[in-house]
Amino acid sequence: MARKQLPKNKEISKIVFKKGELVKEVEDICGENLFGCYQCGTCSAGCPYVDDMDLTPDEVIRYVVLDRQEVLSSKTIWLCSACFTCAERCPRDINITKIMEALRQIILRRKIDHSYAQKTSKKEREAIPQIAFVSLFRKNIG
Amino acid sequence: MPSRRYNQKIDHDQGIPLADDYFLDEPELAILEDKMPSPETTVKGITQMAFKKKKRVIDSDVLIIGAGISGMQSALDVADKGYKVVIIDKTSTIGGSMVKLDKTFPTNDCSICTAAPKMVELARHPNIELITYAELNKLEGKKGDFTAQIWKKTKYVDPDKCTGCDDCTAVCPVDVISSFNEKISTRKAIYIEFPQAVPIVYTIDHEHCTGCGACDRVCEPGAITFLEKSEEIEVKAGAIVIATGFEVFEPSELRKEYGYGKYENVMTAMQFERLLSSFGPTAGKVLRPSDLNKPKKIGWIQCVGSRSEQEGYPYCSRVCCMYATKEASIVKEANPGININIYYMDIRAYGKDFQQYYDHAKDLGVKYIRGRPSNVYENKDKSLTIRYRDTLSGKVKEDKVDLLVLSTAIIPAKDNKKIAKILGIEVDENGFFKQDSLLQNPVQSTKPGIFLAGCIQGPKDIPDSVSMASGAAAKAVAPVKDRKRHVGRDFPPEKDVSLEEPRIGVFICHCGKNIASYLDVEKVTEEVKKRPNVVYAEHVMFACSEDTCKKIRDTIKDQKLNRIIVAACSPRTHGGLFQDTLLESGLNKYLFEMANIRNHCSWVHSDDWDKATDKAINLVNAAVAKVRLLEPLSEEEFSIIPSVLVIGGGVSGMKAALALADMGVKSYLIEKEKELGGRLKHLHSMFPSDIKAKDIIDPLIKQVTKNRLITVMTESELVDIDGFIGNYEGIIKHKSKKRKIEFGTIIVSTGFREIDLEGRYHYGKNKNIISQTELEEKIKEGTLKKKPKNVVIVNCAGAMDEKRPYCCRIGCGVAIKNAKLISERYPGVKIWLLYRDMRVFGKEEEEYYSNVLKNHHVTVVRYPGDKKPEIKLDKKDPKEGPMTVKVYDDILNEELVLDADLVVLTVNTEGEVLTNTLKNMLKIPADAGGFFLEAHAKIRPLDFATDGIYLCGAAHYPKNLVDSIAQAEGAASRAAIPIMQEKMKGEGQVAEVNDDLCSGCQTCEGICPYSAIEVKPRQDKPDHLVATVNRALCKGCGACAAACPSGAIEQKGFKNKQIRVMVDALLGKEN
Repeated sequence: MARKQLPKNKEISKIVFKKGELVKEVEDICGENLFGCYQCGTCSAGCPYVDDMDLTPDEVIRYVVLDRQEVLSSKTIWLCSACFTCAERCPRDINITKIMEALRQIILRRKIDHSYAQKTSKKEREAIPQIAFVSLFRKNIG
Repeated sequence: MPSRRYNQKIDHDQGIPLADDYFLDEPELAILEDKMPSPETTVKGITQMAFKKKKRVIDSDVLIIGAGISGMQSALDVADKGYKVVIIDKTSTIGGSMVKLDKTFPTNDCSICTAAPKMVELARHPNIELITYAELNKLEGKKGDFTAQIWKKTKYVDPDKCTGCDDCTAVCPVDVISSFNEKISTRKAIYIEFPQAVPIVYTIDHEHCTGCGACDRVCEPGAITFLEKSEEIEVKAGAIVIATGFEVFEPSELRKEYGYGKYENVMTAMQFERLLSSFGPTAGKVLRPSDLNKPKKIGWIQCVGSRSEQEGYPYCSRVCCMYATKEASIVKEANPGININIYYMDIRAYGKDFQQYYDHAKDLGVKYIRGRPSNVYENKDKSLTIRYRDTLSGKVKEDKVDLLVLSTAIIPAKDNKKIAKILGIEVDENGFFKQDSLLQNPVQSTKPGIFLAGCIQGPKDIPDSVSMASGAAAKAVAPVKDRKRHVGRDFPPEKDVSLEEPRIGVFICHCGKNIASYLDVEKVTEEVKKRPNVVYAEHVMFACSEDTCKKIRDTIKDQKLNRIIVAACSPRTHGGLFQDTLLESGLNKYLFEMANIRNHCSWVHSDDWDKATDKAINLVNAAVAKVRLLEPLSEEEFSIIPSVLVIGGGVSGMKAALALADMGVKSYLIEKEKELGGRLKHLHSMFPSDIKAKDIIDPLIKQVTKNRLITVMTESELVDIDGFIGNYEGIIKHKSKKRKIEFGTIIVSTGFREIDLEGRYHYGKNKNIISQTELEEKIKEGTLKKKPKNVVIVNCAGAMDEKRPYCCRIGCGVAIKNAKLISERYPGVKIWLLYRDMRVFGKEEEEYYSNVLKNHHVTVVRYPGDKKPEIKLDKKDPKEGPMTVKVYDDILNEELVLDADLVVLTVNTEGEVLTNTLKNMLKIPADAGGFFLEAHAKIRPLDFATDGIYLCGAAHYPKNLVDSIAQAEGAASRAAIPIMQEKMKGEGQVAEVNDDLCSGCQTCEGICPYSAIEVKPRQDKPDHLVATVNRALCKGCGACAAACPSGAIEQKGFKNKQIRVMVDALLGKEN
């Protein structure tokens, strides 16, 4: 099977890491050790959003470990709602939620806005409750 | 057991039988018939007990705490050497956890059938004092002189009177959740844990007993003693072995997501084991708890509570993969229609024949799915939906199963901390007992004189526990080795009755109601009296009770009896007891026969009084017919040369020799190389603790060479051997000189080697493709020239393929240890580890693995068995140039291409070169991989079927240092038993060859499992070949007698004529 095709984003693909630096940065931000993962799939099986994700949470970890920078353009890290189910059940005690946040932070700290707030239509803006926007900005702007 | 008489008519609210009601009738009847115990006798009883209150003090040599399979093995090993053993268990029976299992992997041997003989042996051993339902209260003293206080809880049942008839449970109105059946069924407040329990004495559970007295009223032997009090017993001992076993993780608090305790059809594997067991609550039928229907689909979730750094325990439980495979294949074999899924992460089929067992399960149709389920929820029909990610296909899926089994972790017993405090020893962070040194002294606890056996120091399978238990026995004997030994029992001299006319005495047992209620014992007695030669016949309430045994002795004397028949239960459980009674009366113990009129008659024909009586008469008549023809048999006694030959001077051989020396036994240690040390000499450090191999081996070599009891012979080989247990004569070749030595027993510890890859993986073509051993040598000697940048380690090279279907057991651990080594040596190096299943299974191994991954950023890639990694050499410089490794990543379903300047192959292993010569010389079997075959994969892992030869270490199968040392010390214990007994007795019922009929065809020689038959020239006619039986080795199995085409071999005690008259008698023909 070939590699999964992930959406391309001009700004994100500009972020370049040297060999091995991506893992280092993720680990620096979140304080989790990604190499401890033994790929059991518990995080993915318990994830409420897994059906809509392009990479499953365990694949995200694997991609980071294998130094695949396209992981930054995956939808998964933005879909993660930080429900902590994965972190709760992970037998290796890896807080996957924190890893997702770290990956988001890598993008956000480079001042790349991922909220697309201006792209929401007026109708959506009226229907979506205020609090949802607040969370969106917190997560996607930083 | 007979079907309950009250089955249909029972008041289910109170569990009271309605017909034949003891509750209503008996007390009145007792008063009317004046059977009530008088107040005087009760008062007398209490007074007697008050006087008895003088504290019991037992002087013993070794105290063993816990009577599971490990404790039993330790006890037997010590007691067989002639030392006194006290063994205690906190439950009312011995047997521990092993007897709860249905079958054992990988041979599917019935668990209770292999454990029960050990239990009976233990209970009957003259050197063992068994105290059940007892706990350790206090310990004082030091190695060589301990004083322990044992709290023996009262069972409220007199063990001397209780016959195990089971009448009491039928009337007991209290139901208690059975912990033996893992809480899935109930027992009564008066109970035995299981039918084969030893001792067969009922126990009243005082917490639940209501004191109604129902049992007391139905107990015919009057064994219920409500006045019996718990007592403290003082035990003096020189050493202590702890073998208190383990507990099983219950996922009701942690790992709640799997629904245990919430959903009815979720159970633990131990509970499932009870379902499979023939004496479990469903009598071996697999039924799901909610509706007692047969499930159509069953799922197993592995690693529940183990390999969990949160919500569980970090270590690998070591046995779960295999027991799940075993349970699944048993179910699948019996019901091919049931679908089975096992959800796993790594299948750890690491041991001897484990991988083949796992492959067989897959062939049976057991589906293995790689993925750890996240959660489980219940459907309306009580089936369960499991949500998981199939990590090999990459899909998140849901499966519906009718029954879900959780393979839960082995965890340290809750009592461990308490026991450790009493003993003054330490436990590790998980709660297992801590060893003095995991790699150098795994059997020793943190306090001298206290030793560890079995699962108390970490999860273990049965053979490893048994080996370790033998090892603990060897260690425990050392401090008491100079004490007086006592082997066997003393009996009066035997009377010669061979010229006398047979005078037969028959004792027919009622077994309480068990026999007498279903057939007419009086009629049987009258009938048997009519038989010729029967001088005396009587029926007795309990033949096995002490007063009846005395009666048998008196009758033998008064009536001048010379043949005895007991018509009762099974000779397997009670034969030895009656044979002892004969010996006490000066009769040869082979002039005895048992007719089993209980198991074979009253229990199975409980519905037909007349026919059962007839059958009993026939059975007894048959016994009479046979016993008339019995001859007194002698047991060959032979002396033992007090030294051991240890073949192979690696760590196992040296540890074995040292353990022998500690017990005061001399040994010869022969090694074919120039120096002692074996494989460890080539290694850098040891998994899983980074201790340098040198630091282990050098002090050992020093100790061995200094020890006066060990004769070291290097550059030596055994070239010829003659003799049998106790009396071997071997020729040792040293350079060109030959030397003759004599020894009593042999330990084989020849070790293993890496296989020849025959050019696979380009091994040998490029300098930078090396094996793990070569890597360690290079690192040790500093000859790895260039600093590697990209290292690829390939596991399972030459393993688990068609030619060698087995797993090498140690490769994964070695690979991880070496990955760490490279990473520490060459900072900044990138390490890839390609594996199939990560098999790091022992104590601290999983933790070590996890730490290496985290701290050294080793990237692991799982590859499928049918897509082996391919190495591509550089075109320009194939001999030294850089390489690429193509590997299929099973998880991502992608092919990865890795650059490598160093490829390390974890090469499969096989038995040492010596295997073949030794195999033929010692007549011991070996498997296709060149590893020696033990007598029994589970409970005799250190013995060969041939007496007097033992094995240990990697000669049995590759194993890590911890297991090798435990085995070596165990083998030393086994090999020391005959030597410390000084003399041995053979079997009386051996095969006998009629030289005139024997044609020397050698059929028997090949068939004998104990190498006891040799075909050689006849003494008086040297040109004729005849079979000769070595009476020291013959076990009396009768295989040769059955196979002999000319009828030249007869089995003593089961001669053709003796069997024929039995058949005639059964058919009613006069003889």
